[in-house]
Amino acid sequence: MKITEQITDNITIINLDGRLDAHTCESVEAFFREKMENGQYKFVMNMENVEFIDSAGLRVVLVVARDLRNKHKGDLHFALLQPAVSRVFEISGLNNVLYIYNNSENAVQGFSS
Amino acid sequence: MQLSYDFPADTSVLEKIGKLVIQIGQKAGFNDVEISDLQLVLVEVCTNAIVHGLKNDSEKNFQVIFDWETGKIEIFVHEAGEPFDPLSLKDPNIAVPLDKRQSSGYGLYFLHKLMDEADFRIGKDGVKTWRILKRKKIEETKDTP
Repeated sequence: MKITEQITDNITIINLDGRLDAHTCESVEAFFREKMENGQYKFVMNMENVEFIDSAGLRVVLVVARDLRNKHKGDLHFALLQPAVSRVFEISGLNNVLYIYNNSENAVQGFSS
Repeated sequence: MQLSYDFPADTSVLEKIGKLVIQIGQKAGFNDVEISDLQLVLVEVCTNAIVHGLKNDSEKNFQVIFDWETGKIEIFVHEAGEPFDPLSLKDPNIAVPLDKRQSSGYGLYFLHKLMDEADFRIGKDGVKTWRILKRKKIEETKDTP
């Protein structure tokens, strides 16, 4: 899993490239935890290059989003879900409790609305 | 047609297993959604075998057998590690808000939701076997005037 980041208006855009599964989820969660320790609480997860997510990956996005909202008044927004990933979000009902946008710009603007 | 593979108990093999599902799914005539459903469930079953059964011990192997024909794929996963009961997990309640969501149990939920048949058994020799089966949906054809 390749992870890069950029910061716009105090919002951190995380670009993931690879599969979000039991093999990679620990590194992704560790990345978020490190940013949170540094005081970053508003994130956009750009999923354009993530073609697969399993329950281990779902657990990470669920617990990170929950911690950001409940403990830090922040949030995790999602952008550009690919079809297989979007289907997993829908089947698990996470599409009803997480903010999902069609591009990163809208996901960033979502923090203002 | 049948193919059998032995994999070490290391989560790095999950990507390769996913690619095998794509290849076999295409040969069996499945569409992209059916293939991604099957990939998701097989990865969940194999992750269980690697993490809970074989405790990430890459010296140990588990076996995956693909048996397919056009329109039907049946997969067996055999593993002889630590005893555990994957059926003991409750399905998550997906209707509750985020702060009440359980963070585990989705793997088995996907299995129940997306496969046509799935069963689990433990043999007398302690070998645990998952069997999952998916059939291609018959696509409805629209009547033309």
